[in-house]
Amino acid sequence: MRVERIANRQMGFIIFMIRTTFIIATLPVLTSGNAGQDAWASALLTLFVTVVIAVGIAALGARFPEMTVIEYSRKLLGKYLGGLISLGFLWLFLHIAATDSRLYAEVLVTGYLPNTPLLFIVSSMVVLASLIVYQGIESLGRLADALIFLFTAFVIASMLVAMRRIDAANLEPVLARGVGPVLSGTITPIAVGAQFIGISMLVPVLTAPKKAVSAAILAALLNGVVLVLAAVTVVGTLGPELGSRTVFPFFLMTRSLELAPRFLERVDVFGTIAWGFGLLIDVTLFLYCGSRGMSQLFGLRDYRPLVAPMAVVWALLAVHGYDDVFEVLALFRPEVIFPYITVIMFVPFLLLWAAYLIRRL
Amino acid sequence: MRFFRNLFHRQSDPGLSELKDDRLDISRREAVEKQLPLVASLEDNLEMLRAVVGPSSDVITRRLKVGRGRIPAALIHIKGFVDTVLLERITNVLTLGLLESPVGNASRHTIFSEFRDRLAQSSDVMEVTNFDNMWTNLAQGHAAVLFDGTAKALTLNTQGFATRAVQEPASETVIRGPREGFVESIETNVSMIRRRVRTPNLWMEQFTLGDLTRTQVAIMYIKGLASEELVQEVRQRVRRIKIDGILESGYVEEFIEDNPFSVFPTIFRTERPDRVASMLLEGRVAIFTQATPFVLVVPMNFFMLTQAPDDYYEKVPIGAFLRLLRVVGFWMSVVLPGFYVAALTFHNELFPTDLLISISASKEGVPFPVLFEVLVMEMVFELLREAGIRLPRAIGPAISIVGALVLGDAAIRAGLVSPPVVIIVALTAIASFTVPTFSYGIAARLFRFVFIIFGGTFGLFGIQFAFLAVIIYLIGLRSFGYPYFAPAGPLILSDFKDVFLRTWWWSMTKRPFLEALREPVRAAGGRRPRQSIEKEEKEKR
Repeated sequence: MRVERIANRQMGFIIFMIRTTFIIATLPVLTSGNAGQDAWASALLTLFVTVVIAVGIAALGARFPEMTVIEYSRKLLGKYLGGLISLGFLWLFLHIAATDSRLYAEVLVTGYLPNTPLLFIVSSMVVLASLIVYQGIESLGRLADALIFLFTAFVIASMLVAMRRIDAANLEPVLARGVGPVLSGTITPIAVGAQFIGISMLVPVLTAPKKAVSAAILAALLNGVVLVLAAVTVVGTLGPELGSRTVFPFFLMTRSLELAPRFLERVDVFGTIAWGFGLLIDVTLFLYCGSRGMSQLFGLRDYRPLVAPMAVVWALLAVHGYDDVFEVLALFRPEVIFPYITVIMFVPFLLLWAAYLIRRL
Repeated sequence: MRFFRNLFHRQSDPGLSELKDDRLDISRREAVEKQLPLVASLEDNLEMLRAVVGPSSDVITRRLKVGRGRIPAALIHIKGFVDTVLLERITNVLTLGLLESPVGNASRHTIFSEFRDRLAQSSDVMEVTNFDNMWTNLAQGHAAVLFDGTAKALTLNTQGFATRAVQEPASETVIRGPREGFVESIETNVSMIRRRVRTPNLWMEQFTLGDLTRTQVAIMYIKGLASEELVQEVRQRVRRIKIDGILESGYVEEFIEDNPFSVFPTIFRTERPDRVASMLLEGRVAIFTQATPFVLVVPMNFFMLTQAPDDYYEKVPIGAFLRLLRVVGFWMSVVLPGFYVAALTFHNELFPTDLLISISASKEGVPFPVLFEVLVMEMVFELLREAGIRLPRAIGPAISIVGALVLGDAAIRAGLVSPPVVIIVALTAIASFTVPTFSYGIAARLFRFVFIIFGGTFGLFGIQFAFLAVIIYLIGLRSFGYPYFAPAGPLILSDFKDVFLRTWWWSMTKRPFLEALREPVRAAGGRRPRQSIEKEEKEKR
């Protein structure tokens, strides 16, 4: 069987698009902390921490250029402990994909298609994602290549238009309440850095696995810049109060814009389309990660037979896992998500690193 | 007694008596004929010919008694395939020439080789020993000479048959550029390429395909530039073709495609020798088929759909602008009607208030939903277009009048269709005509309906879904193993000098990355036109 490979550049694009999509989708996780007008400072801090997370994941992957995290965790930590944390990772893949697609469906239903069932929107995305995963990881890489320009253009355009309306007063006073709120505002965004775990499944299919770190850093940095800009723009245009109370502040922002009055109004559709692009990449990646990881955990030769059942489970989880959008957002409260991600991902990765370093000594 | 004679006969020339049996089916006939050897006796050979071709009156056999020994001989050709002047000359040599020259003294056993070496007036002479090869040559316009006493035939090239004159291809016209188009003769077509690419490294390999049509198919590439794996793959796929007849390159195309069910063509076809030449220079492989002016080129990518030959001949800013216009036109022809339906059905807020009011006002009294309106009008337009192609040229304009006046104007007046829909449909139609190779617009036409239906049922989300589905589909396609959506996916930035725009020839120093991996450099760098050298040196001082 031919070994499928994607370029490091493509992995960078994939990670960048996934992360940026998440920023567009759930900026409240940033502003809903109590950082308020200092959200930009939280964003800046988040930038550095997420780069560290990305490096931590990519660098360990680069040490095992032929293996995914599922494989080397069993090698490092033994059959049982390794298997246990692999199961955790598999659940995380599924959960991320389900949560992201639920958020997307919620926005479409509230904003544009009020009478359409959630299941329809979610399953149409599932169908597309399954098609790509069936075609193979190379298709995902090429899709990221093909969409990156359109995606970036839409994101930049919606932010540029918004920047005209930034009211500097909304960003003042600077650090009035000290660094405490800023720090607490970073907790959730850092926990959402869990998305970088996708890297650990992509490293073995890269053309240059040993150089995975630089691609990961670049994606994380660029994404951090978008995060800071988005935080400044949203808080600057909407103000800290509205920014933290709205469910989807980025969309509230783009909705209030007029790109060219009397010609084209309500440019938020383009933001939604960009989100759709990013979401497709996101769910495809995690569907791939999930089915590939599962096939490796159970020793199957090919992951493709698992795609269809995984897709069904994921669509059901997205629709029935949460009662409404507020339940989804409740997940992102610092006191919920941080312990969750720590247990399921940060601790296992620290263990893996420790095991690796001990082996080296 | 008869039984024994038959037995004996059968042993002496296997198959011949079998051929005389009318109940013999075609595949068996062909198989028997393939194994017929030429024999020493002229009479037997001619009997064999009669048994094989039957009463066909276009196969002409001229019996002669040649030389001073009056050796029986025969000259065979097929009417309409040969140049009569050349044929006369050969007849002349066989009759008078042999008498006048010392070769005329040759015996039954030596006359064949003597004639072949000293008198045969042709540069393309072949010696064949079985019937099948002789027939193959005859069917290509050769004349065959048979002498009694030699179990061989000599075929001399006397090819000369009528073909259509070289004209400008109707389906791919250019404003600036060569006016030549391929014709139905593979020899002429190949020579047109040779005239453009004169290197001896332009290689050509010929195959005969189609059991009954025995069509010549040739693949052509520049040795050392085209990837060996690609050439090998093309060769292999062409060889695999097994069918009774090949009448057009479309037959070949369907046998060698990567994705037989693809709506988009994954094999490029053109009638223009300059395009084929330019693609050969990029390391691609061309496939010629006898009796069709359409030449196939592989590998193809999606963005070749929007490239026109003029782009490369016209000045860059103009060419680049036109190319961009065409790219926009292509996507417009796919997405625009669907977008209109989606926006008007689900996203009224996208329109500014004034515009929305005027659209709604014009829709007043129209009894159908906008989805239905657009679908019907698009169908009407497709009907008109198809009718326009099939109609004799004289009635063509009449149809367009009926279409434009009766259907367009009257439908609006009757309040069946709103004017904006007619504008959208017309705009889409015009945009779809900008795709340079006409037949490729078909894929866009099919997808347009998908976009309209999705846009009308799920709004912009449906449009996005359809768009992503099309992109995913395109990304999964391959043409002879090369990614079809390159250079956009996989992203190859260096190739973008020739995708949506074109830059100057002196700046396009690299050939397409994937196709010409063996030798990427096409032109020397730093050759931007500038003032003469003296002036430059003066400035330096």
